[in-house]
Amino acid sequence: MPFKKIFKRFLNLPLRAKFILSFLAVICFGGIVTITLGTRLEHQTIIGLAQAKVRHDLASARMVYDEKLNHIRDFIRFNSTRDAIQEATKNQDRVALSRYLGRARTEFNLDILTLTDSRGKVILRAARPENWGDDLSANPLVAKALSGEIIAGTQIIPREELLKEGEGLADRAYLEFIPTPKAVPREEDHEEDGMMLKAAAPIRDGYGTIIGVIYGGILLNQNYEIVDRVKEIVYKGEKYKGREIGTATIFQKDLRISTNVKDASGERAIGTRISREVHQAVLIQGEPWIDRAFVVNDWYITAYEPIHNIGGNIIGILYVGMLEKPYIDLRNRVMLTFAGMAALSVVLLLTILFFITSSIIHPLKSMVFATNQIAQGELNQKVNIDFKDEIGQLAHSFNQMAENLKKANEKLIQWGTTLEKRVEERTKELQEMQDSLIQSEKMASLGKMSAGVAHEINNPLTSILINTHLMLEKTEKTHLFHEYLSLIADETIRCTNIVKGLLEFSRQNPPQKSYADINEIIRQTLQLLEHQAAFHNIRVARKPGESLPQIKVDKDKIKQVFWNLMINAAEAMPKGGTLTIASRLSEDENFVEVIFTDTGVGIPAEYLNKLFDPFFTTKGSGTGLGLAVSYGIIEQHQGKIEVRSEPGRGSVFTVRLPRKD
Amino acid sequence: MNDEAMRKILVVDDEITVCKSIRNAILSDEHTVDTALSGEEALKKDEEKCYDLIITDLMMPGISGLDLLKTLKQKRPEVNVIMVTGYPTIKTAVQSIKIGAFDYIPKPFTPDQLRSLVSRVFKKIESEEKAAKKPSPQKMPAGLHYMIGHTWLHKENGELVTIGVVQDFLKPVGIITHLTLPQVSDSVNQGEECARITDADLFNHRIWSPATGRIIEVNEKLRGDFTLLRKDPYGEGWLFRMEPTNLEEDLKGLILSD
Repeated sequence: MPFKKIFKRFLNLPLRAKFILSFLAVICFGGIVTITLGTRLEHQTIIGLAQAKVRHDLASARMVYDEKLNHIRDFIRFNSTRDAIQEATKNQDRVALSRYLGRARTEFNLDILTLTDSRGKVILRAARPENWGDDLSANPLVAKALSGEIIAGTQIIPREELLKEGEGLADRAYLEFIPTPKAVPREEDHEEDGMMLKAAAPIRDGYGTIIGVIYGGILLNQNYEIVDRVKEIVYKGEKYKGREIGTATIFQKDLRISTNVKDASGERAIGTRISREVHQAVLIQGEPWIDRAFVVNDWYITAYEPIHNIGGNIIGILYVGMLEKPYIDLRNRVMLTFAGMAALSVVLLLTILFFITSSIIHPLKSMVFATNQIAQGELNQKVNIDFKDEIGQLAHSFNQMAENLKKANEKLIQWGTTLEKRVEERTKELQEMQDSLIQSEKMASLGKMSAGVAHEINNPLTSILINTHLMLEKTEKTHLFHEYLSLIADETIRCTNIVKGLLEFSRQNPPQKSYADINEIIRQTLQLLEHQAAFHNIRVARKPGESLPQIKVDKDKIKQVFWNLMINAAEAMPKGGTLTIASRLSEDENFVEVIFTDTGVGIPAEYLNKLFDPFFTTKGSGTGLGLAVSYGIIEQHQGKIEVRSEPGRGSVFTVRLPRKD
Repeated sequence: MNDEAMRKILVVDDEITVCKSIRNAILSDEHTVDTALSGEEALKKDEEKCYDLIITDLMMPGISGLDLLKTLKQKRPEVNVIMVTGYPTIKTAVQSIKIGAFDYIPKPFTPDQLRSLVSRVFKKIESEEKAAKKPSPQKMPAGLHYMIGHTWLHKENGELVTIGVVQDFLKPVGIITHLTLPQVSDSVNQGEECARITDADLFNHRIWSPATGRIIEVNEKLRGDFTLLRKDPYGEGWLFRMEPTNLEEDLKGLILSD
């Protein structure tokens, strides 16, 4: 849940912050992992190298140590084979021996050089000539030599023996412990025994019989020859910031008896003891120890290995150590370099990121601005971005969208105005259609009514006609009533005609259509009319349209319509005039039009609407059904009949018949 | 003539005034005239009296004129019926002739027009009574479409038809004194008057056209010699030729001779 919240908050951050935070997170994680792993790896490598070196150095130190021991052994063996010494030993000539051995001891710088007879009794101690005659056959070294071996090794020498063997030796060996916190506690507070490199060899007479033993050695306590030599050979006296890089130490058991490790005051740090860990590993378990260790007052990379006596027991430790500081410094430098590079990368990355995000954010901001402008109705927006990348494409699309929006808006506005116009036009058309519909309906209902009326009137008319005639038959022609009855009969006949007209008008019979030439129909109708009285002073002008298509009509009914229109025109021109009859194809070529134009009295505007209604007539005579019937016929043909008129100048009737039914 | 021998006429119309008027128009010493106000009443009366002529309106509530005609013709095929029609039922009138009506007369009409018809009916009855002894001189040729006892129509090659009068129409007509023929280019409608024969008794016998159309040619020979009508009614005695406008529909109302 909290993670979700954090994530949500993160998503709400500005784009740039999001980018930078994400990148920083990745960089930090990567950096930390790299530095941690790198440091550890590098540490292992450097320290590993150092440890390998120190292990090698320890081997070198051991070589120096062993070399010293071998020298002593070689020197002892050499002296055991000297004729003068053999002779003096055989003769027990202490004076001569004293001379030879004294010189030899001084020359070779041995701490002790002693000679015994074949039973192990001391003949002469070159370092202490006054102490002689004691039996040393129990001494393991002497014992081995007496058995014919040349032997060398390290030995712990008790204080009494030191006192016996040489002057000042016991004093050199005596060391008080300097308190060491990590050391294994010991009951004693000082050391009085010493540790010696010793060698022994038998002395034989001319027959090879062992006549004595010669042995010698050097006391290691406070003797710095070996350790300094190790430092000299292995580390060549290198220093780091005023400190010795390499150190070497010889321990007697856990006690430093010979070293070049300096204490705080710059003195050789003898008298201190080894730590518990090393004590346990090397002195007790006899294993070499290689690790970093805090020696006296510095960290060292150290190597320890046990020193055995002739009997194979661990009696001391050989140590070499390298100051750790140079390696640590090296490691730190590498680490610092790493960190510096990482920091530089971060800065570089952030800079690049800043520019990249800028290149994204700037166009986005301008698009947001433009979008807001558009939303507020400012459609004239363009974003200027020339990149070819996704942002550039977006900007391009945006511009296109804005452009289209503008165009669409313009169209919409234009459309709005044209729509108004069209609505007006349509309304007008609708009004016209409605008018014509009303006219049709009026006709239809009038037709029905007429049919009903006609039928109902027929019966009474029949009775009137019959009875009038019956009365006429009974009346003398000279009688006044004859005339009256004749009038009744005539008027009844007229009624009959009106009824017939009404029925004609209301007849629902479908027209009997066949193809016909409209001009021929006009011609035939005119032929019938020519002899009508109304036409006597009328001039007829025919303007038949050429190559009109034949159309499907009921010829008789159309003829009836033309008849009605021509008679009407003639009657509108009682003083004579011109009737023009034209035919033509309509502009859209869907209709054949016949136009009747007269130069008559015209029709008042208020009559135009009622002109086609049944029984509407302005003439004294006539049924008023002619135009109504004509209207019905043309309508049955899906055609139209229209009239225009100018009172005093004439009227124009146009009949439109569809080309296809 | 005693009552028994007198011709009996029944007038049927749902309007009493019309009934009375028609009765007045044809009332004479030579026949009796009864009236009935409905088809039902007419049938009942006919059961009793067996009328020679029944004049009935077509449009009546209850049993219509056409139903009455059918029922009568089933019972007594020899009965003569004249249908009185309003204008809108002209098709029905033509139909009624096909069923067996003697003739029809559109409303309104004058007494003379009706009397001519009635006289034709009676003359026909008389001639039939004579003809029972001698056969009809001329038989109608096959392939003519005709209205029984009225006019015939002959389909020529092409679109034209020839119209003439059937012999039965002329039987009840007296000596022909005048023949009125239509004019060329006149329009005539099926069932409406297209020609008229006036006889010596001054009866005007109206001839109904068997089809609707335009007159193309009139038989001018007839004008000088009315006898052609009787001598050769299906040949030289033709009346006129016309261009029919709705022949297919018109033929449905006619009978084809064999």
